[in-house]
Amino acid sequence: MITKDDIKNYIKKIPPAPKVLKQTLALLTEGELMQASKVAESDLTLKSYLKDLVNKPIYGFKNEVSEVSQIFGILGVSGSQQAVYNYMLTLLSPDDWVVFNLNEKNFYELQARLSARYNKILKHLNIIDKDIQSAISLLPASIIVAEALFRENKQDIELIRSAKMIDYNTVLKRLAKVDLFDICSQIAKKWEMPNKISQIIQTSSGLKISKDKEINNIGKWIHLLLFYELSQPIFIEAGLNDFIDFQVDFVEDIYEDFLKVMKVEN
Amino acid sequence: MRAILKDGIAVFYPQGFLDGNSASSMLSLEDIKATENLKTDLVLVSLKKIIFFNKNGLEIFVRMLLKVRKANQAKIGFCDYDTKKFNSIMKFFNNELSFSLFNTLETASLFASSFKNQKKNILLYSESKSQRSVMAIELHNHGQNPIITQTQEEYNEKSKNKKAYDVLIENTYIGSMENGSIAARVSGNAIIYNVSSFLDASITNSFNIFYHNNSLKAGFRLFIFEAYQVVSMNIHAVNFFSKLASAAAEYNATICFVALSTEKTTKKFQETLEDSGIIFFEQLDSILDDKKLLAELGASTATNVKDKRSLNKAMVTQLPNFIQATVDTIKMMTNAEAKKESASIYTIKIQETENKIASSIGFYGDIDGMVILIFPENIAKKACELLIGEETDDKELIMDALGEFVNIIGGKIKALLADNDIRIKITLPRTYEEVSELLTVADNRKGVQVDLTFDNDHFSFFLTR
Repeated sequence: MITKDDIKNYIKKIPPAPKVLKQTLALLTEGELMQASKVAESDLTLKSYLKDLVNKPIYGFKNEVSEVSQIFGILGVSGSQQAVYNYMLTLLSPDDWVVFNLNEKNFYELQARLSARYNKILKHLNIIDKDIQSAISLLPASIIVAEALFRENKQDIELIRSAKMIDYNTVLKRLAKVDLFDICSQIAKKWEMPNKISQIIQTSSGLKISKDKEINNIGKWIHLLLFYELSQPIFIEAGLNDFIDFQVDFVEDIYEDFLKVMKVEN
Repeated sequence: MRAILKDGIAVFYPQGFLDGNSASSMLSLEDIKATENLKTDLVLVSLKKIIFFNKNGLEIFVRMLLKVRKANQAKIGFCDYDTKKFNSIMKFFNNELSFSLFNTLETASLFASSFKNQKKNILLYSESKSQRSVMAIELHNHGQNPIITQTQEEYNEKSKNKKAYDVLIENTYIGSMENGSIAARVSGNAIIYNVSSFLDASITNSFNIFYHNNSLKAGFRLFIFEAYQVVSMNIHAVNFFSKLASAAAEYNATICFVALSTEKTTKKFQETLEDSGIIFFEQLDSILDDKKLLAELGASTATNVKDKRSLNKAMVTQLPNFIQATVDTIKMMTNAEAKKESASIYTIKIQETENKIASSIGFYGDIDGMVILIFPENIAKKACELLIGEETDDKELIMDALGEFVNIIGGKIKALLADNDIRIKITLPRTYEEVSELLTVADNRKGVQVDLTFDNDHFSFFLTR
């Protein structure tokens, strides 16, 4: 169904990060918010994406924000880098979704929800680190990769899943000895994302424990956050609730804190 | 979300957070309809991967499951949870549940009388005295050995002796349930039907005769009616079973009854059934644990069917779809390319039978017949690796996974034929550890044989009626 060669070809086809995005990210790294916003402004699709993202209700801004300089000003360096990486990821998303019942709007919604809630988590954990903040942007890549690799085999994978409770990540691992999160890491490498982002995403699969305590802890929060979002009707109906295996034991010790941060009442 | 069917139990596996918002999205009416069609006698929701739930979420699930109970008289409930979750559910519903709770899926399978879980020493405890009794009676009826503890302390103390008990049951609740459906499951090569309550004229509606007939065609020769939960049987049911036995005789198949004592039916009725060839046993395991008896009853070998029908035009026209579905599924599970070597019409011919295993699956509907697949062991093992998750030489595990694998092939055939407006249903697959066993069913049968190779290993496909 899916071979190692298919995965190699998929990664090979991923385009390098566009020049404008590279420049914007480089300027953000230097803390040059104004200059970064000027470069970003020249990419009209990026501008439109950023505007759409920060004006979503989950970001909670009362007035509409329309200029990139305003957006970067409000989000700060870390938030801006996170938003630009979010946009970068959309370049990989398909025009039409086959495996998952998603569309551009729903996918952007997932990105926005994950980012906004993850920022809350980082605030709770007192973590100020722009690379850690950007890690959440790479998480939905796992969904994009699953869509890309399984779209030609939709009926087949449904048949297998009707006979055995088995998630996409496990099927891929058993067939090609590589999982969705390994592929996400390869995308991160290709796009020259900081190594920390890749490590966090691997840990957030719930299957690979990191020796770094901080990364491990963030991985847990992201894993639980992902399933919190994938339990929302919009994403259940998209078929995302069981696309990877939820590792309940992995997140057990942060569960109570998570409910408090997300204000979930029993 | 669709339920996964295993050993006669349909299980839903939701993940994450279950509340009023998510529950109705997780379980749709379409999912419930599909579950009803599985005709299973136990439908559960696993809470293993649910980290948070509230009353609204559970109530929505229960309402949906009740629809399956109404349609199929299936038992319904939840499984796979810890003490904290169990206490929360009991509290939400004020300790009065119309559904069941099983601490694990293994516990649930004991109440579904799964063949794999007979004669187990089961230590059980429930705070409720009536629940302790209900569970003990049910377990006993299913051929288990329940040991009741009266207090939590006694249970805790006894459960320390891990070697003394096969299964520990606590945090379990048996809800009020009716069970009048006739669910089928396969044990080895016997088909076991679970009958319950009052057996009367309604049996003709609740028993799927098409499924039964096609199981005969697929090579099954032993059919066991498990009657632990039968209250009584009247003359209409006796006539029904007598006719069933006569029809089975044409295939040299055997029909047995388990736990149908004279308290449940008259001696005269039992004699009538015996005259028609039906055999009675007290316990299911007295058949399944006795390999010699199984062989005598026909579960290990099967005599060839007298009625050897030829392939018809409709079947031959669809042959490419049958082949395509089989090849695609094997390719999908193994990434191995298939090469067609030869095709011939007439009777099945297997040149090398060493290191080969086989399976057959029947189908019925717009067209009817049987597909026989003869695999080299390593292809079967490779195909099953995806389902098992690792390489294994455990024959029982491989044969079990082979059944699932052939079921997937059957599903693929069904889907491809549906694209051509041909509707079929498939039977449970039968597996054969030895090709010689298969040949007793299929030898001299007329059909189409297609020989293929996968990575230089020979594989045979045979389509017959």
